Amino acid sequence: MAIRILLVDDHPIVRQGLKTLLAGHPGWEVIGEASDGMEAVDKADSLRPDVMVLDVTMPRMNGLEACRLIRRKAPGMEILFVTQHDSPQMMREALEAGARGYVVKSNAARDLLEAVEAVSQHRVFTALNRRDSVSSC
Amino acid sequence: MKLRILVADDHEIVRRGLCSLLQKHEGWEICGEASDGRDAVEKAKQLKPDVVILDVGMPNLNGLDATRQLMQHDPNFKVIVLTITDSDQVIREALDSGARGFVLKSDAARDLVSAVEALQHKRMFFTPRVNDLVLAGFLDKGHAISRNEPPSLPTLTAREREITQLLAEGKSSKEVASLLNLSTKTVETHRSNIMRKLSFHSIRDLVVYAIKNNIIQIDVPPQMKNPTGSPAA
Repeated sequence: MAIRILLVDDHPIVRQGLKTLLAGHPGWEVIGEASDGMEAVDKADSLRPDVMVLDVTMPRMNGLEACRLIRRKAPGMEILFVTQHDSPQMMREALEAGARGYVVKSNAARDLLEAVEAVSQHRVFTALNRRDSVSSC
Repeated sequence: MKLRILVADDHEIVRRGLCSLLQKHEGWEICGEASDGRDAVEKAKQLKPDVVILDVGMPNLNGLDATRQLMQHDPNFKVIVLTITDSDQVIREALDSGARGFVLKSDAARDLVSAVEALQHKRMFFTPRVNDLVLAGFLDKGHAISRNEPPSLPTLTAREREITQLLAEGKSSKEVASLLNLSTKTVETHRSNIMRKLSFHSIRDLVVYAIKNNIIQIDVPPQMKNPTGSPAA
């Protein structure tokens, strides 16, 4: 299935790593990048991706704020957090903000493809650092 | 002959980004990857890369102590440290460790290729802020860089710093012993010496010390900083 993806992270090197990983999947296309929450909101509006891969900790506007705004404007767009915060509390906050998925950055290479696949089909995907905490429904 | 580079970062996604960036450069190749400082030291000794790129905030052994171990093993190692902060203390420790390059992670996409090129041509590479501090120290205007200033961890040996990091990461003496191929009794002795030298009475004191001295780094959720934004991490 073709999936159009917007990558949002304040570190270009992390975006590059995510892009390299996603590029291996046929049919998926990274249609844009943003480096903070405000830019993410603007690009979500102009590019209308199917899935936004979003960091939490960013300058100007963090990912949680951006997520809330985007969900209000584009409820059909799915948001997947990829963050360094390996915390159930943060994961709960992300899902409450309207995200469909949550992946810890240290495990992104393991979990990202499965997570994008799940959220693109409007299924929830959450994974903290322990393998047994992965859930998709 | 190709320039051989070893890349060490605990996040595979960051390593992928770094490798992808460096592999685009003609004449360079990634000869190995490592996911913590200890792994990096082992692989560097074994692979003998031309350039080693080390993240500062890695588990088990941080990038600065890994640099110290490499320089002690062979002062010809060329190390670039990658860091999320260019605080005075991190800069001072990076210079003190023997690193020849200092790049902010947030600027890696822009600066890393230049840094590797500099080391390839036997030069050093530092961010403008490091250059300013070095110059200020040279001009002796009371800045942080000074040859007479004692190191931030004057009383701990390299082994004690390693053990401090592992204990501060929450590992038990038994786990530390297993990681370092020591007996539990030896680790307990080091632990007692560390606590005595630093006049600490609890592991909590040691954790605070490790954070303050950049031996370990912690993640701070955004709402603990401010409601709408936070520094890069």
